Amino acid sequence: MNGLIIGWLLLPFLLAFSSALQPKLGWWMALFCCGTTLAAGLALSLDPQPILIQLVGPSGVSLLLDGFIAPFLLLNALVSAAVLLERGRSHDDPSFCLLVMALLGSINSALVCHDLISLYVALEVVSLCAFLLIADRHKFRSMWIALRYLMVGSTALLFFLIGCAQVQASHGSFSFEGVAQTTTGALALLLVGLLTKSGLFISGLWLPRTHAEAPAEVSALLSGVVITAGAAPLVRISQATPSLATAMLWLGLASAGFAVVFALLETDVKRLLAWSTVSQIGLAVISPVTAGLFALGHGLAKACLFLLTRRCPSRQLASWPEMPLPRSVALPMRLAALSIAGCPLLVGYLAKEQLQQQLGPLPVLLVTIFSVGTAAVYMRLWASPIQRLAAGQVPAASPFPWGVALLVVALVLGNGLPLLGSDSTLWLTSFKTGSLLKALGVLLAGWALHRLMRPLRPQIKLPDLERFDDLIGGMGIMGTALVVMLSW
Amino acid sequence: MPSLTPALLIEALVLITALAGFLGLLLRRNLFLKVLALDVMSTGVIGFFVLLAARSGVRTPILVASSSSASTPVAAFADPVPQAVILTAIVIGFSIQALLLVVITHLAQREPSLQIEALEEAAEA
Repeated sequence: MNGLIIGWLLLPFLLAFSSALQPKLGWWMALFCCGTTLAAGLALSLDPQPILIQLVGPSGVSLLLDGFIAPFLLLNALVSAAVLLERGRSHDDPSFCLLVMALLGSINSALVCHDLISLYVALEVVSLCAFLLIADRHKFRSMWIALRYLMVGSTALLFFLIGCAQVQASHGSFSFEGVAQTTTGALALLLVGLLTKSGLFISGLWLPRTHAEAPAEVSALLSGVVITAGAAPLVRISQATPSLATAMLWLGLASAGFAVVFALLETDVKRLLAWSTVSQIGLAVISPVTAGLFALGHGLAKACLFLLTRRCPSRQLASWPEMPLPRSVALPMRLAALSIAGCPLLVGYLAKEQLQQQLGPLPVLLVTIFSVGTAAVYMRLWASPIQRLAAGQVPAASPFPWGVALLVVALVLGNGLPLLGSDSTLWLTSFKTGSLLKALGVLLAGWALHRLMRPLRPQIKLPDLERFDDLIGGMGIMGTALVVMLSW
Repeated sequence: MPSLTPALLIEALVLITALAGFLGLLLRRNLFLKVLALDVMSTGVIGFFVLLAARSGVRTPILVASSSSASTPVAAFADPVPQAVILTAIVIGFSIQALLLVVITHLAQREPSLQIEALEEAAEA
């Protein structure tokens, strides 16, 4: 069993290097890696018995596979496969498949590892792969954005390393369990690193511009899965550290509220989606019980939306009401938007409902308010009319969107995911009449807010917080705030 | 209040180095100097790990064949685990520095001053 798991973890890297030698097979190899990850995710959802592997002695690498990471693995496999399908086999850039495989492998490693140093190494590899995917050396802006991403990421991980050293000093090992017994300062340093990698609150200010400037397929990977490589271990650590639970709740809510305001006032569709990622990931990290399902629902829908922006003629939302979209773009876009907004029968609703069952009255109220904001944000993607073809007119030829189709199917089938595990009662309680009515009420309130915002939008100016110094400063402020918050 | 031992003094200096690197990253206006500040910060972090390893001793942890029993160490050895860990981090940090400098040479072709404001303006245009 251990051999099988290690083989599965190493396979993407092995095939990535092989694909450098055999570029023609790269696309098939990458799809095969996605298939193995999907199988691993399904196996863990069916049988969430934890498997702990300790390699090279007590101070070596430890891996933990359990039900918690199953949805993250499914998400990683599905989004990577969709991106590959969408890009097509006959593309002229062989390094893309190589990088997708390395990214898939490193995200898998970040999800399963159970000690701080393996996590550090996995996150650095994720950063490097994402950097290479973003950077296009013929475009100045793309190089600048990639450089920013790499510098912010490695600064955050240096803070993380200082935290690791202090955990080792106080506990004698780098395991996640040691984090609970460490000092407040060390905890704050570890958190700064992970919060920045998962793009939360003001330490996630790097995210909107990076995700908006990257090519659409890369944005889908970044917003869908790359941030979960930071968020999943963050939730894991907060689960093992009781003193962190309150801090994570308020940080998540702060991130959700802060980013929803920016998303409401945004005029560019890719930036709107990126701000909404900051907001949704904030909601995902609040509760360890629902983190996986929430990230799965959000990641599938967000990757789908980013892939669809490739087929839209304009990124400026103001021009959307006059821009008819073909049915194959408009329908999946509306469905994915509804899922994130929390419409029943889609996986986004299930995640949001289960999250609210875990929380007290005040956080539930805040989550509901932010859900109204989110619904208003996603109503804007409904603005463009569906293209009507005159009788006899042949639609413009375009390849069938296999990747988008895969994600849409997963969004609907994702509803059954909790049924695979043991706790199907949680699933049954999510479809009560009261909850369904509340979800529809939130959607209606979102629509009203959307109408209300339309005349106000040009008058409100938000500060530009995305210059390089703001990103580094945001990290410093976050660290200081965490020390104050945790010692209080 | 702990008394000021040499180890504590070195620890403070090492952490000040990391902090100085971070401040340089924040306050320097030139991108090249910012990347160097990142290197200063990572030097501080590496120093911290080396210091951590030296708490149990400073001798190189090499097994000596002549030592009679494995349970009683013949000398105060440094802890090999933090050293092994930081070796990985040094390699990763070095490769990232190299990558950043390559990107900077690309950016310098268009914006030779490498002033952060100028770069941001050029990227917005």
